[in-house]
Amino acid sequence: MQTKLNRRLLAIWLLLSAITVGYVWIDRSANHHGARTASTVVTVSAVVLALFKVRVIMGEFMEVRGAPTLLRRLADLWIVIMAATMLGLYFAGKAAA
Amino acid sequence: MTTIDTAAPANGRVRRVPGQPDMWFFVFFESLVFTSYFGVYLYYRARHEQAFLRSQSHLTLWLGVVETIALLASSWSIARSVQTSRAGDHARARRDAYIAAGLGMVFLVLKVVEWVRQIQAGHTFTSSDFFQYFYFLTVIHFIHLLIGFVALGVLIYQLSSPARRDQELVETCATYWHTVDFFWVLIFALLYVVR
Repeated sequence: MQTKLNRRLLAIWLLLSAITVGYVWIDRSANHHGARTASTVVTVSAVVLALFKVRVIMGEFMEVRGAPTLLRRLADLWIVIMAATMLGLYFAGKAAA
Repeated sequence: MTTIDTAAPANGRVRRVPGQPDMWFFVFFESLVFTSYFGVYLYYRARHEQAFLRSQSHLTLWLGVVETIALLASSWSIARSVQTSRAGDHARARRDAYIAAGLGMVFLVLKVVEWVRQIQAGHTFTSSDFFQYFYFLTVIHFIHLLIGFVALGVLIYQLSSPARRDQELVETCATYWHTVDFFWVLIFALLYVVR
């Protein structure tokens, strides 16, 4: 039981680390002829991937997965609020630029 | 008659809140505070994309990646510690907590090295809007990290004596440490990767 649970935690850490390393690939592919350029696709992907990681950390490491429905719903609601606030203000800034 | 949700999760235990509910109020409140910082940063960044891109190019992405993986590994260690403590293996739980603290120290040292490198290169708080946000977000996070070491100290103290070992308190401290971890996950994406 214990070994199985710990193997699950290892898999979660590997997943989170793989996404983190994946950011390097995203960053490289966003360069045009070596120059850094602004990119909505990269920005939205980076934010969404980070929030996915937060959801995994909450669910697995913080044990929200096994928590009462209220806490699980609250955690999900918070992810949605964070996403809406960050992306909403990003696009508002783009529109005002 | 109770209305508490007691549906058994996959592992057969009764569903319960990890740690003290007060800590979850704190986690949700702090998340809103950090989200507002992130939102303001993204708004100004989107308005002045070229200036932010120029300053951002001075950051070292791989350093941010290593810092993130170190903190994720620290979080993973504390998650193990909570599980082994619950299973009654307090010696191993304590060892995992020390590993978590050690990995937290790795993050701390890398962060200081990064700040020193940036300052030596002439990128300070007043250099540009981007670096103002960079120092503000990383320092605010750093303060949370330092408080996190106090939480880890309490956790290790709890695990050290059979007279204590309050599992709820162990989970409460762990919840705080994971929060420091996921705030960094967001800060890393916003400062190093966002274009």
